[in-house]
Amino acid sequence: MEETLFLKREEVKDINNYDFPALKKALKMKQEDVIVEVKRSTLKGRGGAGFPTGLKWELAFKEAADKKYLICNGDEGEPGTFKDRYLLEESPLKVLEGILIAAYAIGADEGYIYIRGEYAKPIRVFSRVIEEAREKGILGENIFGSGFNFDLYLVKGAGAYVCGDETSLINSIEGKRGRSRIKPPYPVEKGLFDKPTVVNNVETLASAAEIINQGADRYLSLGTEKSRGTKLVCLSGDIRNPGIYELEFGQATLREIIDDFGGGLKNGSGLKFVVPGGISTSILLEDELDIPYTYEDLDAAGSSLGSGAVIVVGEDHDLIDLMLNVSRFFMDETCGTCFPCREGNRQIYHMLKWKKNGFTAKERQLIKDIGKTIHLAARCGLGQTSLNFISSVLDKFEDELMVRGDINVEG
Amino acid sequence: MNYANFLERMHNIQDTYGYIPECEIDKVAREFNIPRSKVYGTIRFYSMFYTEPTGKYIIRVCDSLSCHINESKEIVEVIKDYLGIDNGETTEDRKFTLEIVECLGHCGEGPVMMVNDHIYTHVSKTMAIEILDKCV
Ligand SMILES: Cc1cc2nc3c(=O)[nH]c(=O)nc-3n(C[C@H](O)[C@H](O)[C@H](O)COP(=O)(O)O)c2cc1C
Ligand code: SF4
Ligand code: FES
Repeated sequence: MEETLFLKREEVKDINNYDFPALKKALKMKQEDVIVEVKRSTLKGRGGAGFPTGLKWELAFKEAADKKYLICNGDEGEPGTFKDRYLLEESPLKVLEGILIAAYAIGADEGYIYIRGEYAKPIRVFSRVIEEAREKGILGENIFGSGFNFDLYLVKGAGAYVCGDETSLINSIEGKRGRSRIKPPYPVEKGLFDKPTVVNNVETLASAAEIINQGADRYLSLGTEKSRGTKLVCLSGDIRNPGIYELEFGQATLREIIDDFGGGLKNGSGLKFVVPGGISTSILLEDELDIPYTYEDLDAAGSSLGSGAVIVVGEDHDLIDLMLNVSRFFMDETCGTCFPCREGNRQIYHMLKWKKNGFTAKERQLIKDIGKTIHLAARCGLGQTSLNFISSVLDKFEDELMVRGDINVEG
Repeated sequence: MNYANFLERMHNIQDTYGYIPECEIDKVAREFNIPRSKVYGTIRFYSMFYTEPTGKYIIRVCDSLSCHINESKEIVEVIKDYLGIDNGETTEDRKFTLEIVECLGHCGEGPVMMVNDHIYTHVSKTMAIEILDKCV
């Protein structure tokens, strides 16, 4: 099986040799028509939440304001995810093009690209792109003689996963702690410095540029009815050929992704489970992998496509050790605003840390209760998804994890 | 004052001193016209900013799930042993600070470690020692 190359095409990295075809095309269109084209493509946000991109742009476009902002979210931090880094390093001009097209469509004259502080190379690459684009007049006033003005600034993150959440990201750019804001108002109404703001993921913006370039029809010809186009899949874990693969939705099943693209498990090990969308999604077992890789099929299987991180786990690992690892992530990365997210994740970490033998029915009930409480109280996606991994491991490996005779428990 | 410059300013101070000293907190508070306590609170929120001096080399080793599966723990242990410090500590000669961190975005190439701005992938135990030796 071959990759479907829609985004990952031959890349021009020298700005002097790049023609910005999509941007030139967009600047000749009316703002509304750019939005219609992106809406027609049914592109959904690739940052994890899957919100329709065209609709987001339309909402921001319709806001009457003296100033609007476009923010490119390059805070990629979900363990297992490295596609935005790939795009920032390999296709920075296409990302820039997507940013400019989005800004033009919504009517923003200023924007920010927020790249996580640990991404030293993407920061270097993109800082240069911005400088060169300014010199060549691709950022600044009257871009390509169209009358459209836009300037872009890079903000370096400083080590906080939660800043990837769009409202936390906005606070972070404003020089505050990266804590989430209460919604509504949504950023499209009141975002950065209280102005209408669109926040889009790196992959979303690169896809939007290609949609304008190759046309919504081409995009619509790819994928399934509910998941159009392609996705960059980040394959890692106990896998022979890890990496970024661009796949048309529905082109392959999860098992085919692992076997055909990933070359199967490393060192001939057997498969224990797969994390299909980053560590905030529920795991899938060996006999659940024959489903097409689409938003709808992963949802139906009780998990989620998340950020596109597929982590393959072989049979030689200790389940409690893996649960502890994921639990530590959420304990360390919670921003602490919602009490149950802060304390619940800590409780669970400490429970797992001292666990030697199986779980009792009471402990399992406690984990479920804490999970429910966090979910109900959580203001952002971090809390809401923090127990997906642990709960699903506990459910799916109960024979292995529960104290004998203590399996049954009320749900 | 443009608040969007705040993080950049902090990064510059961090890069200059290896941490963010009191005197700079005072200056920044005046410049941005925000209380010192707020500046301090913001700094503490971000794990890449320090309020105590760090080593010349900040060693970050990823131990998130994909790297963990690829035995990042072994790399962590070798480094701890070699430097004689624990997670979050700095060697007495102020050469090295060790941080076990979450995902560094090279999950397909684990184990992964960073020395200041430089990333190393597919790190083995011998490689880790060689990298540290090169710093000395
Ligand atoms: C805890 C948390 C972390 C997130 N991290 C990221 C991230 O690193 N990159 C990203 O694009 N979106 C991230 N998101 C999603 C953003 O809030 C937002 O939905 C997204 O940037 C919107 O862009 P899109 O519509 O193009 O996907 C995160 C959300 C949460 C709750
Ligand atoms: S759910 Fe957790 S991470 Fe999100 S705002 Fe609440 S405390 Fe912060
Ligand atoms: S999990 Fe280690 S770099 Fe992503």
